[in-house]
Amino acid sequence: MRIQEFQVKLFEEAAAIGFSDVEIYFERKEVFGCQIFKGVIDQYEIAEDGGVSFRGIIDGKMGYAYTEKLDDASIPFLLKNAKENAEFMPDEDVEEIFAGSSSYEDRHFFSTALNEVTIPEKIQFIKDVERELLAMDPRIVATDYCLIRTTSVTKSLSNNKGLSLSDQMNYLYVMVEAIVKDGEETKTSFEFKVTKDFQSLDAKEIAKRAAEEALSQLGSRNITSKDYPVLLRNDAAASLLATFSDNFSAENTQAGLSSLKNKLGKQIASSMVTIVDDPFLEEGLGSRNFDSEGVATEKLTLVESGVLQSFLHNLKTAKKDQTVTTGHAQKDSYKGAVKVGPSNLYILPLESSLEELVSTMAEGVLITSLSGLHSGANQVSGDFSVAANGFYVKDGKVHFPVNLMTIAGNFYQLLTDVEKIGSDLTFPLSPIGSPSLLIKSLSVTVE
Amino acid sequence: MLSQSLIEDVLTAALSTGGDFSEIFVEDRFTNNITLRSSKIETALSGRDFGVGIRVFKGLQSVYAYTTDFSKDGLVKAAKNAAQAIKGNSVISPAPFVQEAYGTLHPIQMMPQEVVKSRKIAVMKKASDTCKNYHSSISQVTVRLMDEEQNVLIANSEGKWAEDKRVRSRLAIQAVAVSGNKMETGFYGPGAHSGFEFIENLNLDLYANEAARIAVTLLDASPCPSGKFPVIIDNEFGGVIFHEACGHGLEATAVAKNNSVFANRIGERVAPEIVTYIDDGTIPNEWGSINIDDEGEKARKNVLIENGILTDYLIDKFNSRRMGMESTGSGRRQSFRFAPTSRMTNTYIAPGKSRPGEIIAATENGIYAKYMGGGQVNPATGDYNFAIMEAYEVKNGKIGKPLKGATLIGNGPKTLQLVDMVGNNLGHGAGMCGSLSGSIPVNVGQPMIRVSEITVGGTKGE
Repeated sequence: MRIQEFQVKLFEEAAAIGFSDVEIYFERKEVFGCQIFKGVIDQYEIAEDGGVSFRGIIDGKMGYAYTEKLDDASIPFLLKNAKENAEFMPDEDVEEIFAGSSSYEDRHFFSTALNEVTIPEKIQFIKDVERELLAMDPRIVATDYCLIRTTSVTKSLSNNKGLSLSDQMNYLYVMVEAIVKDGEETKTSFEFKVTKDFQSLDAKEIAKRAAEEALSQLGSRNITSKDYPVLLRNDAAASLLATFSDNFSAENTQAGLSSLKNKLGKQIASSMVTIVDDPFLEEGLGSRNFDSEGVATEKLTLVESGVLQSFLHNLKTAKKDQTVTTGHAQKDSYKGAVKVGPSNLYILPLESSLEELVSTMAEGVLITSLSGLHSGANQVSGDFSVAANGFYVKDGKVHFPVNLMTIAGNFYQLLTDVEKIGSDLTFPLSPIGSPSLLIKSLSVTVE
Repeated sequence: MLSQSLIEDVLTAALSTGGDFSEIFVEDRFTNNITLRSSKIETALSGRDFGVGIRVFKGLQSVYAYTTDFSKDGLVKAAKNAAQAIKGNSVISPAPFVQEAYGTLHPIQMMPQEVVKSRKIAVMKKASDTCKNYHSSISQVTVRLMDEEQNVLIANSEGKWAEDKRVRSRLAIQAVAVSGNKMETGFYGPGAHSGFEFIENLNLDLYANEAARIAVTLLDASPCPSGKFPVIIDNEFGGVIFHEACGHGLEATAVAKNNSVFANRIGERVAPEIVTYIDDGTIPNEWGSINIDDEGEKARKNVLIENGILTDYLIDKFNSRRMGMESTGSGRRQSFRFAPTSRMTNTYIAPGKSRPGEIIAATENGIYAKYMGGGQVNPATGDYNFAIMEAYEVKNGKIGKPLKGATLIGNGPKTLQLVDMVGNNLGHGAGMCGSLSGSIPVNVGQPMIRVSEITVGGTKGE
């Protein structure tokens, strides 16, 4: 059944059983992916899929249900479940179906040129990446996840208050893991590139970065476990920020799950730190003209010169805090409820390159990747202790790679302890980005 | 779910360009997801996932297509899209279907879809109240109930026709405790391959109080010291260390491409004799259990390490080609959106002879990890990390003060060699495991074990 036909029937039957305000959210996705192993296609993926989320107000309360099957039987399924789910919701803080903002930006996040790149072109490109990589050094023994992927997503939202919106986005990413061996020592690196501009991609450049990253880790040594000044490279800093970004959500502050509660207008970070959320970045994975409630998005400063300026809000959290929504209603997909989430959230870069930051360090550690963030970080308290890879820095120079480490500290303390910020803003396959950050001190333990 | 003739057409279309194997996976899944926070329902979500995955092999090339369009035209188009990745002329056609009969290993009493939500919410409220009432410092309780009924049909060009119904239920309890400006959390999340009977029969006094107790205990915990220590890891979810340090490295996903530290080592000693490591999808009603895997192979018990000797890997159909070894019934996937690959089910260290008390008493200066958080491994290097949720210091054979904020790091194969005591109290814990074929339910398990030395990264410094 076509979506338009489905919507008409669904809204009619919803009205008949007593829903007053109703909304349908529809997502459609096209995916192509290809993975190469030793010159041949190892995995190949091609897909078209999507689904529909229904939500509506019945007896003054909001109920949700979704389906991926658009058939006649799904209409009573959605309505029965949404009605039953509404019944158990509390009477206060009810979500609303939004009639619309006064105006919307009309930015384009869909590249027609990218959409026209053919499958053989993409396959040839990823084959080139692997070939270039394996040819770079005899110590590079294999790749893992040498893949290219394109995704195009259409999101539409309509309701019976007259709102009808649609956004379209596409992007491509290339990912490669290089495995290097030298004697008994094995190291890996993970290199990626996200873009809408296929022509700008350079297979040799990607291969070179993957090779250098992996090879530079060979010959790792021990250093004394103690507190060191730590330079978090941009991608590592971004992954740490992403882990704790929910603390800027009003949903978390209102639920008592964020230590930033009651800190509006207060200094929460070093005066160098400015954090913004920008929904209009051309290449941003979180870019959007409207949020999941249909509210027009706009750029927002969360932290300015270390002072907390705003939380992220949707309609419900804004009402509760007696403020206005910031346009940060977010659904994980049509399967989820409306929550709060960032669009493209990042720490504003300053002037210094990574090399310049290293040159200012008397002694310390340069961290190039973090892992175990999903488990080793306590979002609520801000405490973290996570595995890390990186290098020993002495007298302004990178000396040697260090054995597997953990770095431990507290996110809130870390924000205060930012001493220098790099110019190298990056978004590592994520809508959350950061430049490199020099941190006064973190506890470093070496295996 | 779909007719035999339609499926035959799809499998034929998928083979039209010279593929030597084609497969269809049809999924129709009903889910409920309810969150209760501070005794109020925060979200109540219900839905139906429906889609079809089509796979074609030609030699060591694998092509995967999926779609939510279930019309004949839509499915044949998806199959042809997949076939286009292969160049050649049709060489084989699908064999006649043979329906395999098998009884369920995991009987279900109450289908979640047939239980009214008020009954589910009543259990959640009780869990929340129990947890909240544990101690005055508990400031916030979140209870999540998730249930699902996944109907699958797997058919392939070798004549396989297998259908299954997987029913899973889980209750997750998170407590937040506050004291001054300190805030800590505790978690317990039991789950099973069962219907609502599992939720209703849960011992809430045990689980809800345990989540609360962990949060309250951590309020008074000291920062964990850093350094190398003997580490005692308790049973149940403690098994996550071997899930990371060892289990992922035994998956064909890494082994077939020679990218695992355990590749080409069958028959070698990889652990002390006291270590036997098993993956068993047949344990009745366990969270990670299955009747058949997502390639239609019957679930089985695979002994991976027997008395310290590496005996087997976890192998799916595609990687079995690269490895020249049989599938072990380990092909799993999150949904029709993922091609299946080798994954774990319920994986555990077999029980040994030591009593837990003996293990503690035999440890002079170490760390006792009572509950674990999650972890991660790089299968190529074997380097792993995982978080401890609740830990204690052990001094002179006695459990001392509570510790917090610790991560264990190390190398899987090396850590495995350092297991020096294995307890007799085997237990399993439910978790979600993320990898190439998505996020799937798995159990990790073990009795209490001791590792003579692990690097502990704490917040206190050395």
